[in-house]
Order: sequence, then structure tokens, then C-alpha cells
Amino acid sequence: MQHQKEIFVKIDRCVGCRSCEMACAVAHSESKTLFNAIFEKPMPKSRVYVEWVPPDKKVPMVCRNCDEAPCMFACISGAITRNEDGILITDIDKCIGCWTCVMVCPYGVIGRHLETHKTYRCDRCPDKNIPACVEACPTMAMVYDTVESYSESVRKHASKELTRSDKE
Amino acid sequence: MADYYKYVIVGASAAGMAAAHTIRQYDSEGSIGIFTDEMDPPYFRPLIPFLVSGKKEASDMYMEGSGPYVEKNISINIGMQVTGLNTITKQIALADHEPVSWDKLLIATGSSPFMPENIEGLNTQGVFALRTLSDARQMVKFVDQSNHAVMLGGGILNLKTAFALLEKGLKVTLVVYSPEVLSQLMDPDDALLIRKALDDAGLEIITGVNATAIESKNGNVDGIMLDNGVELPCKMVCVGKGVKPNIDFLSGSKVTVNNGIVSNIYTASNCPDVYTAGDVAVTFDPATGTPMKTALWTNAVEMGRCAGKNMAGIKTAYTGSLGILNATQVADMPFVSMGTVHTNQKNFNVYRKVTDTSYRKLVFNADGNQLLGAVFVGNIQNAGLYRYVIREKMAINRIKRYIIDHRLHYGHLLKI
Repeated sequence: MQHQKEIFVKIDRCVGCRSCEMACAVAHSESKTLFNAIFEKPMPKSRVYVEWVPPDKKVPMVCRNCDEAPCMFACISGAITRNEDGILITDIDKCIGCWTCVMVCPYGVIGRHLETHKTYRCDRCPDKNIPACVEACPTMAMVYDTVESYSESVRKHASKELTRSDKE
Repeated sequence: MADYYKYVIVGASAAGMAAAHTIRQYDSEGSIGIFTDEMDPPYFRPLIPFLVSGKKEASDMYMEGSGPYVEKNISINIGMQVTGLNTITKQIALADHEPVSWDKLLIATGSSPFMPENIEGLNTQGVFALRTLSDARQMVKFVDQSNHAVMLGGGILNLKTAFALLEKGLKVTLVVYSPEVLSQLMDPDDALLIRKALDDAGLEIITGVNATAIESKNGNVDGIMLDNGVELPCKMVCVGKGVKPNIDFLSGSKVTVNNGIVSNIYTASNCPDVYTAGDVAVTFDPATGTPMKTALWTNAVEMGRCAGKNMAGIKTAYTGSLGILNATQVADMPFVSMGTVHTNQKNFNVYRKVTDTSYRKLVFNADGNQLLGAVFVGNIQNAGLYRYVIREKMAINRIKRYIIDHRLHYGHLLKI
């Protein structure tokens, strides 16, 4: 579980194009192709949500895999577990659609599949090296990295900015 | 089963199991013994209506290895009735076994159905109060011999059970003393959409009426007498009139009891090394500071985890929880009720929005600068954010219009 990669978001880079939402829905479709996914019933759902914050910010939101995950402890049917990679997984067979997890998730990133009466959420694309949303982002606003490596890159970026402003 | 455990936990449901698994995260060595008088291994109690409907087996409901309950090396002793407690010698007394000693004790005995004394004949064969898997099995045996069930009480458990019985093909009549169903979770006006969905689903509901007596024939339920003079023929009665804490075994002990075990902010009772959590514990309302019991699975887990940390030596304050914190779906109508939702008595700043398929009520304080509660029916999207705003007593001036319009998302809470 050490050095688990997370999805980070650079808010200043997001232009709100929703490519991540599209890629997520396709990645979670039966056919895995955009053209066929559109015609699937039930319609494939995105697990990432691009929210608009007035006046001009856009924020892609995705399950954070909280350390003390409220959803996992609140679930009344034991459907939510953490797998060996530290990812929270909902067992669809156990989910009874009571929406208790929806009620306790402070990020609002657990979706309700109304056709199947089950919840769904980001699973970090277990079959891919890089989650579909991150892969699809044209402005690299989403980054898939370990906490250590990402914070190092943020530090380097900040010091570069500082040196530059010193010179000016 | 040993005669000593470092940690003894009485009660093997939400609070007890959450505490045990939390202790194990912080203390990998100390022995943990859980005791329950039930004959089943710990299970997710809210699922038992599914045993009645036949949608799940008991083994589908077991807690061990499910959800967060994955720690090992926890001794679970079923069929063990705890009959007494000595806080000086640090022992619990058991019905059919030598006493068991402990260093730290958690009392998480939960609650039992409240059986109103003013209804005659509640011990007749065919009267049920669904609380345990064992109750559910008894009910299943009776379902086949029955064509009409009368349910007393309009709470969530009774509604879920009612639907389990409807699915089994019974006629079901819900007798509710309050003006509307779910009166603990919302005002009558808030429940109109749910009521319509229940009516459409074929549930017969009578409100404003109480039962006075169970009629019997050959020792079996044959009907029920209501206080409006109506007699309903039925073969089965389910009582869902709330719960009372399981504290009988504490009589003669030094543990302070006041309609439940009085807990301090660190989930501890008045006796050293004796902790309490779940339905049996009396905590306090974080908003008002008044004593409170909640009888909610999610709160029991949260308090159990807090107790587990305290027992393992990590002093952790239980910050209390919302007394009302329910989400479910009945008759294809999802709803969430949380925080302060009864608004008829006091001065609140209330916003309502009604459509054909949804209802929402946002309750703010009189000054309108703090969100106190919310009821969402039909559309419960992002309910967790509203709970977060309520619980953290967040300053809401900047986001109030998003709250009222049900457009709140996490981006609004970011400082960007």
C-alpha cells in the first residue's frame, strides 16, 4: 500500500472540457469504445465530475479514497472494502442501494445508478496503468502520481517560479 | 473461549464489532473477546428484512471479512448471555460459564424492541418485533400461514419489513399513531411524496390510530382492535414502536445508568476502564449539549470506533453525531433526512421546493446563517455535502443559494 498513486488535480489548468468524464464513462462501458458506449443500456456513467466554481474555476472531482473513509464505515451492508492497493471498492452484489454512503460522502463523488439501484464510484481503472480520466486530459490538469513524487514536482515548480521572479 | 481477555466487548453488532476491529488496528497483540447472547455470528442488522423477503440468506449478512471488518484474531463467543458485571474485580458474569476477566470493557449491548404496555395480548403467537436474525426466521415460518399482516408503527424498519411482506404476497396494513409515516424523520408535509409512493405500492396505511388489543384464537393472532373501534382481522402483527436500551444486566453494578449508560466525551462510563458505545449509550447532542440516544447503525459504528481507540490507549473525543441521519429507499422513492428536520415548533428559516417527483427542505437557523438540517425526497444527490455543512456548522453566506437550489458541490467549499 506504500507509495500508492493518487489522482491529483491542477485546478488552474482545467478548462472544463469534460474529456475526463467522457473517457471515464467509456472506460466503464461494456464495449470500451465511444461509438458503441453511447448506445449501451443502461448508459455508461462517468465517475469523475467536473464542477464549475464561479466565477471561472473548474474542478474535476473524483473519489479520494479517504483514509478514514466515511462511506466504508457507514455502509449498512458491508459492501465497501479497501483492496490491497488501498482503493475503496463497492461490491455490487452486496450493495442494497440504501444510499447511506451517498449521505456521508463529503465530496459528493458516489453516484447512484438508478437503473440498477446500485452505487458506483471511481475504481482507479484497475485494468489500465493510468486512469482513463488522467490519460484523456488534454491540458494535463489531472496527474496520476504518488504523494511523494507529486509534492516534489510541486516544490520544484514553485522554486523555479521563485528564481524566475528574483531575476525579473 | 478464554477466561481472560485484555479487551472484553459485550455485544457483537455495529458498535462492538467496530470497536474490536479498531482496537486490533492499534494493538496487534492484546486479546479481544466479544460476547453476544445471539446464536448467529455478527451480522449487518439492517439487512434482516431481506431474510423475510427471501432476497438474502443469513450467511450473506455476516460482518466478519466484509466492509471494514477484516481484522484477524478476534474471539467471538456467540450464545453467551452476560448476566452481571463487577467493576472492582473486573469480571463479567455469564449465564452458563465461569466469569471472564478483562482489563478494558466495552458495553455495547444495543437495544431491544419497545413493547407498549397499553396493548393487550402482545405475547400472543404471531406477534413479532423484528430485531434479530432469529426473529426474522420466526417471522419467515409464520409468513406462509398468514395472508394479512398488521404493522404497528410507521418507522423505517417497519416500512422495510412491510415491503418484505408485500413481496411475499401478503396484504399489509400499517397502523401509525402519528399523523403521517416516518414522523421521527420528518414533518407530515415532508412525507407526502413518500406516502403517495407507499400508497401506490399497495401498502394500506391508517394514521392517527393506535392498537388496543391483539385478538387471539387457539393461542394464535386472529385480529387486532384499534382505538377507533375498528377491528382488523389478521394472522400476524409486527411491532415497530422504537427501542429500549439493554441495561438489565447492569442492575447491582456501579455503572451509572439513566435510560442507557451515561457516557462522557471519551466514550467512558463512570467506572474506570468501562466504556460504552452504540444504542445502549447516552451521549449528547452536539448542537444543544442535551443527552441523546440515536439507535442508528452509522452512529453506533462511529462511536464504537471511537471507543476502540480510547480502549487501545489513544484518547479520542466522541464529537457526537446528528440524532437524525437516515438514508434509504422505500417504494422506489429515495430519501435522506438529517439534522434538525422538525420545524413546526420553533422559529427556523426554512426553504422548501416541491416538484412532482421530488421534495426538498432546507432548515437554517433563525438568522439564516447556519444550515441545521435537510430533508431530500426523490433526488438525494450530493446529500453528503449538506451533511458536512450541517455537521461542521459551516459559515454558509457564500454558498447559501447553492444550498437552497440543491446545486452545492465540493468545489463550492474549496478556497480557490
